[in-house]
Amino acid sequence: MHELLLYGQVPAGRHDQVLKILAGVAAMQPHRIVERRIIYKPQREPEEPGSNLRRGGTQAVAVKQTKQTAAPALHYTKLVQRLSEEEFGIDAGLPHENTKSLSADVHDGQEPVWSMLFEDVPDTGDRGVSIRFTNTTDLLSGDPHAFMMASGPNSFVTEYYVEGHRYVHGNVVIYLHRVLHEPGVRNLQEAPKVTPPSFSSLELLDPSGAYIFEAKVRVNEFNNSTVLESGVSELKKFQKEMKGCVELALPDRLSLDTRVKYKPPHAPAANTQARPR
Amino acid sequence: MAGTESLRDVTLRPWPAPKKEELSQEDLFLQIQQLTTERGHLRDITEKSLHEDIAAGKDVPDEAKEDVESGAKEKDAPTKQEMLEKVFNAQREMYGHLEWAKFAAENALDLISLVLSQDPNKRSAASFSHTFREMGLSQGIPFGSFGISRENHEFHVRKPDEILRLQEQEDRQVVAAKGSRMESLDSAVDEILKAAKKLEKEVRRETKYWKEIVSVSDKGWPIQRLRQNARHVPFGVRYGLPEASDHFKARGFAPLNMDKDGSIILDPALRLKPKTFRVRISENGRIIGTSQLPIEAECKELPIEKSIQLARDSLLEEELYHEMSLETRQLLAYGVEFRDSVIHVDAPRMGGTSHSRKLLIDCIPRDDSVPGGQERSHDWLAQNVAEALRLLLAHEHSMRLYRRSQLPPPLTGRAREKPPPPLLRTLLAVFRHLEGVGSLHVYLETVARTLNSAGLDVTLTTTLETSWAKLTESLKESSKKGLSATDQLLDVFMKPFDGRATLTLPSWSGQSESMTIATRTIVGQPTFGTEHKLTMPSSLTSDLGLFQELKFSVVEEVKSYIDWILTLQIAHRLVKSEYSSRVVIKTHGQRVTIVSRGTKKGSTASKDISVEVQHGELKVTATAVNPQEGAEDSERVHTWNGQKEAISLKEVVKSWVE
Repeated sequence: MHELLLYGQVPAGRHDQVLKILAGVAAMQPHRIVERRIIYKPQREPEEPGSNLRRGGTQAVAVKQTKQTAAPALHYTKLVQRLSEEEFGIDAGLPHENTKSLSADVHDGQEPVWSMLFEDVPDTGDRGVSIRFTNTTDLLSGDPHAFMMASGPNSFVTEYYVEGHRYVHGNVVIYLHRVLHEPGVRNLQEAPKVTPPSFSSLELLDPSGAYIFEAKVRVNEFNNSTVLESGVSELKKFQKEMKGCVELALPDRLSLDTRVKYKPPHAPAANTQARPR
Repeated sequence: MAGTESLRDVTLRPWPAPKKEELSQEDLFLQIQQLTTERGHLRDITEKSLHEDIAAGKDVPDEAKEDVESGAKEKDAPTKQEMLEKVFNAQREMYGHLEWAKFAAENALDLISLVLSQDPNKRSAASFSHTFREMGLSQGIPFGSFGISRENHEFHVRKPDEILRLQEQEDRQVVAAKGSRMESLDSAVDEILKAAKKLEKEVRRETKYWKEIVSVSDKGWPIQRLRQNARHVPFGVRYGLPEASDHFKARGFAPLNMDKDGSIILDPALRLKPKTFRVRISENGRIIGTSQLPIEAECKELPIEKSIQLARDSLLEEELYHEMSLETRQLLAYGVEFRDSVIHVDAPRMGGTSHSRKLLIDCIPRDDSVPGGQERSHDWLAQNVAEALRLLLAHEHSMRLYRRSQLPPPLTGRAREKPPPPLLRTLLAVFRHLEGVGSLHVYLETVARTLNSAGLDVTLTTTLETSWAKLTESLKESSKKGLSATDQLLDVFMKPFDGRATLTLPSWSGQSESMTIATRTIVGQPTFGTEHKLTMPSSLTSDLGLFQELKFSVVEEVKSYIDWILTLQIAHRLVKSEYSSRVVIKTHGQRVTIVSRGTKKGSTASKDISVEVQHGELKVTATAVNPQEGAEDSERVHTWNGQKEAISLKEVVKSWVE
């Protein structure tokens, strides 16, 4: 599945107004969404860029080099937990609770609570909207954290919370949200909290309180150009419609980069010099 | 008198004709023309008649006569010399005048040209007269040498009479000015009064319009500014339901026009006759029930809010009818027909009546009253059906909003199809389900009563519809957010209907084995109607060698199958277990043979006990097998049909067999 995206920003003071305008545009009441997102990092170190080109020198002179593919990049992945406000804890919550573990079990017919989210780097093509590949896998049972630690294998990086409102306008999903985080404990944590802290103890990541305005169209048949075009044009039409209320713009591609950066190992300098370039 | 005497012989002659005798053609025409003008038509002019006229002295003017007389007297005939002189004089005089005119004109031209020649752009020698060019310009008169200026007459002393005249003129002008000013003031006052009156009217009009707008708005109708800012239609009202289908949504808006006196005129869309849809119930072609909305009073006297509300109601009813008429196309197989704009639906035959009952649904103007003299015995049914259909459409509207607010599926090449809302389908499903389950349960109750009266222990539990039965619990613990309880309640009707009946199998003792009949109704895939699923306990199926689950589509089949099962249960399991050693089963039927314990050894009398359950009746027949025993009691029959009986099956069989 691919996502076509446009982003805008709404200052905290205008939030209520924009909320009302959107309710009129989409002809529906806002849908409150609170989510927890947990970021995981693959434990394997990424390869040095270009290393695949050097690897495996051959002695056959005449053999033509096969197509040079880029090294498969490693990506951060996320776990998304849909929360309601009642599910937040009373107090700040203990950093470690060994007795309990997270559970993604849901009953039949219920909406899944946990899902795994993979987001690729946005495409380089310029269509006026940002296009990226995403994959969402709903988790229906088991301990999501344990699953994430085992698959990959991954390591826990951090967790944060997102609160906002969602609208649906045709095929455009409008998500007006802002990021919250728990102050102070981020560096100490090694695993996500089983019960989230109280909602009031969370702090805004952006202290000005500005909201992120995300307009998204999801496309399944990315290779079908008519489908893609219709998605792009619908998103652009919405962008035009919102002109004067919220300016929607194409985000910087690299600001949405989810790849794990390659860091050269702390090897002695002599070693690197010895390698002939 | 002497003069007259002397003139007696004078004859009048025409002016001496030209020398030539013959008249030229042109002269002839002239003469004819003259004649026609003088005497009318040519036909009556003959020489004779002319002579007579002359003789009678007719047509001669008096002055002419006198002139002729006097002229003839003074100058008998002017001489040629005199005539010439006279002509010359006239000519000279004329020339003199012409010269004067030319001179004056040239002077004027020259003067103006000379004045204008001050301006170098208009300085042209061609604009001067010829004389002045030769005599003036060429002689050295320069251009622009003549000036004109306005003179100040301040110190000009006028003559007294001139002063008097001027004074008089001035006075007159003052009077005239006064008069005209008074007149214009008068008309100005009129205009201002008119304007004030108009302004007052406008203000009153606007006030009234705004008052009505506010009252419409206070009633909760959304008022909206019109995009094209028409002068008399600044606002419109949106009364259509927000989730109606596109066509009806577009109709749900009407501009609020301003009347002459400021009250709101209804827009044509609002002024349409409100419509309602009507459900009638016909039995054998006779209408026995009609649904009906309360008829409103005269349309013209309604306040604006009321007529907006009527328009909204009418829109809902029309949409309902529209959606249903679209739906009939899929439902031909279920006996739904669309004929002459009337939807015909087969109604259930409740209570086993054999009448063909039909629902007729159509759309009529709301004012039409039901003709009297009709049977109203089933009005309640028609009314309930109509209300149910309205509720279903309202539910569909809120479900549209709910579906719209869910995350849309990712875009694909295939278009998402929008199924028509299930209105008639739900109605049909309810009818069919109630009909099927009802008749089945009635039957089961009779059977249970019969068996109980025959001393067999049977319990029956029936549920018409499982989700209706536990509605309150399911609503209480519902996990669906964003749906009101009403919608969740109505959502139950969109799902397949499940009826359930559990019948414990007859037994002597209290051991409970039960079979279950689950009835499921869907108008659509996969059953396309009602399906009865019969589940039997495994002990029974293994004993009798039957399938554990069976599906039927008609109630009659289920009934006869249950009859058969109960027969087998009683005959092959109950009777057999009672007389275990003495029972001989010869056929796979309802018949068992019991070898009776003979009083004398050797003479074994055996009896065939035949059990039959049919139409809620239990019949036991005993037939003696041995023909030599005689036919005195060859066949004995006992029947239970649900009434209280003293004797039980067990005792009857025992009495026969012993």
